Amino acid sequence: MGILGVLLVIPSFLLLFVTVVVPIVVSFKESLSNKEGGYDLSNYKFLFTDKLMRANIIFSLEVTVVSVVIVLIVSYALAAYMRFNDGKIVKWIRNMYMIPIFIPSVIATYGLIQLLGNHGWVSRWVLLLGGGDIPRMIFDMKGIIIANLWFNIPFTTMLLGSALSGVPNAVIESAKDVGAGKLRMFTQFILPLTYKTLLVAVTFVFMGVIGSFTAPFLLGPNAPQMLGVSMEQIFGVFQEKQQASALAFFTFLLCSFMGYFYIRSMVKEEGARS
Amino acid sequence: MRWYLKALGTRKIIEFIVLVIFVIFFLGPLLNLAILAFTGKWNYPDVLPHQWSMKWWTFVFKQEDIPQSIGLSFMIAAIVTGLSILICIPAAYAFARIRFPLSRFFLFSFLLTHAFPKMGLYVSIAVLFYKLGLMNTLLGVVLIHMINVLMFMTWIPTAAFRNVHKAQEESARDVGAGPFRVFLKITLPMALPGIIVASIFTFLNSLDEAQGTFLVGIPNYKTMPIVMYSIISDYPAYAGAVFSIILTAPTIILLLAAKRFVSADVMSSGFQLK
Repeated sequence: MGILGVLLVIPSFLLLFVTVVVPIVVSFKESLSNKEGGYDLSNYKFLFTDKLMRANIIFSLEVTVVSVVIVLIVSYALAAYMRFNDGKIVKWIRNMYMIPIFIPSVIATYGLIQLLGNHGWVSRWVLLLGGGDIPRMIFDMKGIIIANLWFNIPFTTMLLGSALSGVPNAVIESAKDVGAGKLRMFTQFILPLTYKTLLVAVTFVFMGVIGSFTAPFLLGPNAPQMLGVSMEQIFGVFQEKQQASALAFFTFLLCSFMGYFYIRSMVKEEGARS
Repeated sequence: MRWYLKALGTRKIIEFIVLVIFVIFFLGPLLNLAILAFTGKWNYPDVLPHQWSMKWWTFVFKQEDIPQSIGLSFMIAAIVTGLSILICIPAAYAFARIRFPLSRFFLFSFLLTHAFPKMGLYVSIAVLFYKLGLMNTLLGVVLIHMINVLMFMTWIPTAAFRNVHKAQEESARDVGAGPFRVFLKITLPMALPGIIVASIFTFLNSLDEAQGTFLVGIPNYKTMPIVMYSIISDYPAYAGAVFSIILTAPTIILLLAAKRFVSADVMSSGFQLK
């Protein structure tokens, strides 16, 4: 029976091995090789000494941190609102909030450009309602952050909503019975029961934004760039495979911290069940 | 007016305003594209077109590369979905029902597909594909699409199989059904909703995948999202909006068809173990 289990799993594991593990090892080796055929850290040195690259890295980190914080606050509030309230409006939100998860990112980005751009729909409405000209919202950092909110809030709300629905009503009732206020109820009962999912959510948003390409490519500024765009350019346009590999590996390092906690919490969870 | 608002309660009003902001933010871009697609003439600063027409639809279908890209996208999505079902469903069954050595290690290895930022991983894969001569090949594109779906295509069905009560399988076995018959008549039908959700999600994911294809599939494999990249810069907004609707239509149709299976709980089981 055990052999059968392994046999059933092997094909997908092999695919995983070829498409994830091998490329990462190969690109790590590539990132360490220099132009003379030897191995050193010159590609990494380039990342931190080149003025443009340094600006890109700082820009990406700023966008990522701001996006993660806003996404988490809004999503948690929305998920909690849907969990503890009932009524027509909640029903509406419940029916609609998952739609953006399934919309192709190219389309959403394009829609945002049309909506928020110069002479876009929003500026027309504002003008009609007597608001005058609106400030520029896309083709700079704001645009990328807005797009990140659009992509990540629904998904994060879904994850957190599913975790909050796992909080038993009895817990909340009994907390109310002992007279816990709203804040205490949140910090002492609800947060501890959902923080694992919160961790998963942080990881997904952080990595999603750092590794994003479509939105910054279409509505980001030309310089500084997000790392995803810069990587594509180094690989595709400049054909500098070693430098692209080094940059890819650098984003891995940035995320490895989050990835570690995500994987560890998943492993713990599974350990508790068997 | 004021007494009416007061009677309604501030809470209700705030709720309503928040809902309106959400609708504008999340559905605004999509609604804007829908209007643009049927516009004949729309001058600034009018908020609605003054002439409706279908002329951009004929324009889009007359372009040579567009119908071609639609066919290509659907073919690739079908291949990716078929292959993933073939590879992942048996593995999911094994994880849920068979005890075998290292099963937890294998189960968690799928986390690797989501433990790295996307563009970084794609660049690493492209470096490997370049060495193997898989750049600009169908196999390369299919492989890069499959990475994204491996995890939830395995995890959602695993959760679905786990939710089938063992007692039901055992009672079927007690009345003399063989293990294969039990799987076909009891286990599979009960896990089917989860498998359907995972498959639909896979199909849509492949249909919408842009960045990986952009990196390894150019110039021969221009799927719909890739064509969309060039449409955004080269065509008028109306044509882009028409193509956006064509690209989004399969998503909406499939989601409506599977509406009763898609829930936050099923979906989030693809990204975390519960």
